[in-house]
Amino acid sequence: MLEFAVELFSDYTARTILLGAASLGIVSGVVGSYAVLRKQSLVGDVMSHAALPGIVLAFLIMGVKEQLPIFIGAALSAVLAVFLINLITSNSRVKTDSAMGMALSVFFGLGLVLLTYAQKMPDANQAGLDKFLFGQAEALVGKDVLVIGVTGLFALLVVGLFWKEFKLLCFDPDFGGTMGFSMKSLDLLVTAVIVSAIVIGLQTVGVVLMSSMLIAPAVAARQWTGGMGSMVILAALIAAVSGVTGVALSAGLENVPTGPAVIVCVSVIAFFSVLFSPNGFFTLRFKDARSRREIKKDYVLKALHDLALEHDDPGYAHSEKLLALGSEKGFNVRKSLLQLQEAGHVERAGEENWRLTPSGIREIRKLSPVGSNG
Amino acid sequence: MSSGEQNPAVPAVRVTDLTVAYGDKTVLWDIDLEIPSGSMVAVVGPNGAGKTTLIKSIQGLVPRVAGVVSIHGKPYEKQRKEVSYVPQRGSVDWDFPTSVVDTVKMGSYGDLGWIRRPGKKEHEKALSALEKVDMLGFAQRQISQLSGGQQQRVFLARALVQSASVYLLDEPFQGVDATTEKAIVRILKELTAGGKTVLAVHHDLNTVSEYYERIAILNVGLVASGRVDEVFNSENLMKAYGGKTSFFPERKSAKRAV
Repeated sequence: MLEFAVELFSDYTARTILLGAASLGIVSGVVGSYAVLRKQSLVGDVMSHAALPGIVLAFLIMGVKEQLPIFIGAALSAVLAVFLINLITSNSRVKTDSAMGMALSVFFGLGLVLLTYAQKMPDANQAGLDKFLFGQAEALVGKDVLVIGVTGLFALLVVGLFWKEFKLLCFDPDFGGTMGFSMKSLDLLVTAVIVSAIVIGLQTVGVVLMSSMLIAPAVAARQWTGGMGSMVILAALIAAVSGVTGVALSAGLENVPTGPAVIVCVSVIAFFSVLFSPNGFFTLRFKDARSRREIKKDYVLKALHDLALEHDDPGYAHSEKLLALGSEKGFNVRKSLLQLQEAGHVERAGEENWRLTPSGIREIRKLSPVGSNG
Repeated sequence: MSSGEQNPAVPAVRVTDLTVAYGDKTVLWDIDLEIPSGSMVAVVGPNGAGKTTLIKSIQGLVPRVAGVVSIHGKPYEKQRKEVSYVPQRGSVDWDFPTSVVDTVKMGSYGDLGWIRRPGKKEHEKALSALEKVDMLGFAQRQISQLSGGQQQRVFLARALVQSASVYLLDEPFQGVDATTEKAIVRILKELTAGGKTVLAVHHDLNTVSEYYERIAILNVGLVASGRVDEVFNSENLMKAYGGKTSFFPERKSAKRAV
């Protein structure tokens, strides 16, 4: 494993590819945060799928697999898809989700048809066009990485400059509008930034899975932090790590396209975050169970105390069965008693009888500061 | 700039011939409204009467089919800085990853203009606004941890940071606790006492007389506007609400007489 890593990092080609994957990760993590915060995750999905017909058309028109025309073609058709969604929703009764579903399938379907057509052409030049579906990071050369870097820097620069305006756009666009900021322009700008992130991800991750590269890191990051700045930085980090790991995996294993490898990494992180972060599924379950246990213990303690008070002796022992009488079905009194015993608040007085210890009496005073409940 | 320089004879807000439509549905019809400087005005009316739309269209947030809005005698577009907006609490996502003080700071974005970031001065301003709404202790809290009333106070603090002379509030008392309601009323009354103008969409007819001195009763068209003691009566409410309201100020005063 270590040998493999050393080999990977010492090789120029491999370094180039890893650099590309890391830069792509940083950009998609940052930009994807905006898609998620604006609740437009699906728009990213539509745009990346919709890039396919643009890619193939650019090739068909130019006749060569040249990077720049392909990027432009991809960006244009992605933007066209968003434009059509807006046109449909504002001029008909079709809702946004249906319009997005339509745009995605129509554009992606068209892309696949064009791709099949292009691949039947005798020209050998079209070879590898299908790599845009699932990505092929091994094909990255120095020039590609440079383009990724420059485009990525542009995207980061825009985000950095318009940080506070984008925050308004995501949180409260109406309020932003009343302060004289043009929300329409900002919306366009964010879309442009998302499109540029998608375009630079096409070669590495591919049109099918690029949207996960935008969404998953942001979702994962959101679980761990409550600030927008920290969320964006963490998302960038997660995506960069996933990108590098995915590329390494795909290089190490035969016949694994890069896109799926990267996405597996980022999904693992996202799932882990959703389940185990401080507000995650399991953490909340755990906290729930703990507080339920505490409440039950307090209840038993109090019941024991109330019963004992009837005998004017806080240390008077009572039967476990008596305690269970007043409680709900399925409430395991014995379990709570054993937990209290472990804490030293109660002690056994015979087979089934229990009494409060001095420490238990102090505990009950803490629970009800008024003292007795008379 | 400050409200002290405004001519009190010129209304703080003047709406002329305002008409707004969504698709083929008319939401506001030919509204003429004058809000005198320094007054506290309730906008009431049944659901769908266009109350929120009125607040939004004054600020150009929804396109006007016709009509002119002027603030202190000049077109709204030139007077943005004089107007501060408190949207409905439910209009934003309170799970958004940001802190209370950063949310309040948004009120200073307009003065900062494009690209410039808030600095120390804006931070101080945000803190003092939070102090005014009794939320200073919550400055570093996540906004997702706030109760409804606290959310509303944060929104009000954000508006206070704007240091405008006209405050437009959309249902500031919607779903807030009694303490918050009292606190908000106190702040709004302080604002009007200082010459600021407050226009608030209001739902609870029972508190109109207590909180406001003027009222605009709306139902697509403007039913009546003026001093509460002059136009807040059963006749106008019937016109706006139809038979749907059981609230008549007369009945209340009759009870008091007994």
